[in-house]
Amino acid sequence: MPELYRSFVSLLAAAFIAAPSVGQEVSAQDLVRQAVDNYRGLSSYSEMTMVIHRPDWERSMTMRGWTQGDDNTLVRVLEPKKDAGNGTLMLDGNMWTYSPKINRVIKVPSSMMGQNWMGSDFSNKDISKTTDIIDQYEHTLIAQRQEQGHEIYTIQSVPHEDSAIVWGKEVLVIRDDWVLIEQQFWDQDGVLLKTMKASEIKVMSGRPVASVLRMSKIEKPGEWTELRTLEIDFDVQLQGNMFTLSNLRNPRQ
Amino acid sequence: MNASWLVVATLAWRNLWRNYRRTLIILATITLGVWSMIFMSALMRGMVDEIVRNGLETLPGEVQVHAPAYRRDPSVVNSMAMPDGDFLQALGESPVVAWAARVRVPAVISSERDSRGVVLLGVDPSAESALGSAPDNLVEGRFLLGVDDKGVVIGASLAKRLETSLGKRIVLMSQNPDNDVADRGARIVGIYKARLPGTEDIYVYAGRAATQKMLAMGEQISEVAVTADDYRAVQSWYPNILEAAGDELEVLPWTALDTFLSSMLAVQDGFALVFMVVVFLALSFGLVNTLVMAVFERVREIGLMLALGMKPALIIGQVLVESLYLLGLGLAAGNIIAYVSIRALENGIDISSVAQGMEMMSMSPVLYPALRFSDMLMSTAVVIVLGLAASLLPAWKASRLDPVKALTKT
Repeated sequence: MPELYRSFVSLLAAAFIAAPSVGQEVSAQDLVRQAVDNYRGLSSYSEMTMVIHRPDWERSMTMRGWTQGDDNTLVRVLEPKKDAGNGTLMLDGNMWTYSPKINRVIKVPSSMMGQNWMGSDFSNKDISKTTDIIDQYEHTLIAQRQEQGHEIYTIQSVPHEDSAIVWGKEVLVIRDDWVLIEQQFWDQDGVLLKTMKASEIKVMSGRPVASVLRMSKIEKPGEWTELRTLEIDFDVQLQGNMFTLSNLRNPRQ
Repeated sequence: MNASWLVVATLAWRNLWRNYRRTLIILATITLGVWSMIFMSALMRGMVDEIVRNGLETLPGEVQVHAPAYRRDPSVVNSMAMPDGDFLQALGESPVVAWAARVRVPAVISSERDSRGVVLLGVDPSAESALGSAPDNLVEGRFLLGVDDKGVVIGASLAKRLETSLGKRIVLMSQNPDNDVADRGARIVGIYKARLPGTEDIYVYAGRAATQKMLAMGEQISEVAVTADDYRAVQSWYPNILEAAGDELEVLPWTALDTFLSSMLAVQDGFALVFMVVVFLALSFGLVNTLVMAVFERVREIGLMLALGMKPALIIGQVLVESLYLLGLGLAAGNIIAYVSIRALENGIDISSVAQGMEMMSMSPVLYPALRFSDMLMSTAVVIVLGLAASLLPAWKASRLDPVKALTKT
């Protein structure tokens, strides 16, 4: 059914592109849902490089990632050598890490969810709860503009009162082909703190993908983390044991 | 016999005022010594009281009940049921004046800019204020309204560290009994100031039911804190609770919960005595010197009295009575001055210029001297017993004078 739904929506989207002047009733909620589905797919396999940049050093890591649905993610580091084999498994907002050096699976306790993931500008929470954006926020479409033949939607997302989100609001910029171009994190005083921006959009596996995403902190201009997607396949067949602790410990793929 | 002692007493009194300047100086010395003994012990007692009371406020309560493993691992797993049956009944009996059931787990609080480890207290606000452990100085906003209150109350220092303020949302994170992440957003409804900024950083108050829901622990709680308002009397009623709570729970008085506090209290009494003796030793040199001089000046006179048939025992008596007069007058004056000065300072001595140092000892920047009758009694006893002992030497020497030699002494 989601597959059907997706193609239906892309059909609709195509209609909008064709006739942008028609009074459009695009639900902000749907836009966000579509954007998340676009980069996660029903399932996906990807290879990416994460570049962590600081004023006086820079390092990069290559890793492989698998996702399924909204809640399951597995990431494994390929390079550099000293980090190779490190894995992170995320299931329903919980997170486990595995390091071959100590041969232990460690559950990331809630006290460490606010800390950064592998030294990057993403917190553990950022990456383990990527799909919170869909249902933990109230989305409103606040602007719509045309750029390079694309319709660009700007959505303001205010977290629900009791949701476990610290931001005052997030602003999402989504292109009409469901690419999330920018995600801004604002504090509760209306000050912009972090942004995640797509600086390159490519068609990969038949789908437009933000292939270079940069997370940067406004208060520290020299520090950023960039995620460069090298390869991505959507809706791949994954083994049933992909997202299990035993697979995290003993890779079988 | 009585008549001779009366004569001795009169003689001693007159001798005292023969050299009134010297007498006044030694009186001033004794007065000052006695005052310092009482005043310093009152100050120390005030300090210790303060530390103990501060400690009990955050402990809180004088007796706490936990699941047996809770104190070793204060996690949500080691919880207990709400008190019922005998236990509940014991909590309602005198001398217990208040008790509170609380959830108390380690948690992380995050704002947009920072996150910190805290102790999350899920409390019933009315029980908490009866217990005296609710923050008494709310600088902004309000305290929680009930167990269902969704808001949180945090310390001023914590708010500053998180760069957040009243009315903003923060996120609380902890774990549920299955070790899964349990979190929720909550709005800051109140900001409190504690006597110690350390407390402000650690304790975050939230409604008990709201916290139980977040932690998915049902109706379970972490601890029951009980108070009877007098921390010194805890041993008398703590066994009742112990018996009523049953074997499944760990019931401990504050002396066992915080051994540092209790040993401090024990050390305090011994320390006061040591301090008094030390002050007296310094004092005794002045006293003995005065008496030796008084005897030395009156060698011929004492020789005459002995020659006329006065018993050596009465000579000893004379010197001792003279010493007793001095000590008595000094004690009276010292006690009165100490009493008056402590009363005058009862509202606290502001020592905020060294506040940071005091804070490290978990003390507030205002000292409250605490006058104890037993301290006054103890200083009086120390001064009289040791004072007379010190006077024995000059008295003994005077009584052993050879009358002939003494009379011919020029």
